[in-house]
Amino acid sequence: MIGNGRWGALPWVVLGLAVAVFAGWGAFPSSALYARLLTPPRLLALAAVLKLVYLLAGSSFAFACRDRLEADNPARPAWLLLSQGVLSTFAGQRCLAPFQLVHAQTPFPSVADIYFVLAYPLLIAAFLVFLNAYREAGLPIGSLTERVGIVAGAGAAAAFVALPILSPVAATGGTLLERILTIAYPVLDLVLLLPLALLLRIALRLRGSHAGDVWALLLGGFVVLCMADMFYAYFQSLGEAHLDPFVHAAYVLAYGLVAGGAHRQLRLLKS
Amino acid sequence: MTTSEAVDAIVKAMAPYIGDTMARSATEAHCQKLGIAAAMSADQREALLGKLGGGLNIFLGRDKSASVIAEVRNALAALGGPR
Repeated sequence: MIGNGRWGALPWVVLGLAVAVFAGWGAFPSSALYARLLTPPRLLALAAVLKLVYLLAGSSFAFACRDRLEADNPARPAWLLLSQGVLSTFAGQRCLAPFQLVHAQTPFPSVADIYFVLAYPLLIAAFLVFLNAYREAGLPIGSLTERVGIVAGAGAAAAFVALPILSPVAATGGTLLERILTIAYPVLDLVLLLPLALLLRIALRLRGSHAGDVWALLLGGFVVLCMADMFYAYFQSLGEAHLDPFVHAAYVLAYGLVAGGAHRQLRLLKS
Repeated sequence: MTTSEAVDAIVKAMAPYIGDTMARSATEAHCQKLGIAAAMSADQREALLGKLGGGLNIFLGRDKSASVIAEVRNALAALGGPR
């Protein structure tokens, strides 16, 4: 994602431009640019391709990090789980891509949801293994009371934000599977946010360092991913399809940040 | 070399990799666990470096971690022997 030298910033410029294009689509859908050149089918196809590229890159970089660490390094299984979680999301996106590229449609529910849902236990396990690795290595991750407090606080805050969003989602129509999945994603995101809150505490202590950069990107990516899932469920349930561009922007940003974080870690391991 | 001087030197060498705050809190936590007070013996210094190396392993891998610990060792040597 980020190389050395003069081209190092290029992937970030591309990511920034992509996010701006999708946000612009949401903000000014009837402007000449979006009505004639960047039409919805083209942008949906662009989003599909960008998501696939970032997800495949993120999974590959995370797997390469696992490969660079020694067999007895406690962080090695965490990078493997992270790689598998991102790969599972890639597989889900890969299932949607033909529909998005050819028919400019995103079927829901579909076989893609099996992979999207499967990604959550893998990612949650990855974060728990990271936390355990830091604890085993003797890094200060806070007392048990502090950790319980952080998890309880994050859970309460997330529920406070998510419940008003989930209420209309739960009351929406559609098949039972549609309703289950529409609620399952935000709920799984809330669960994902709990270990993320503990990792955020560690990441704050790492700020200003190479490892801090890695975690700022990874955590930023997963927090944006959680927000994207919640907004997707909300907009889906309310039938607010005109807000989809913002969801695409959030997913592209999330996957780009995760790929960037994994690449920073790989660069650190190679240095 | 006092423990305080040693901690400052260790933090300075490790900060680019794990940050000033994490380097200091990890070093101080390990010092406390190892019973290192105002002065640090050679054995205590080696035990401390071993613990810090284990923590760095998680972020940097074994080879890079060993090279950072070597930097730390040089920085401590420049401060003078343990007392």
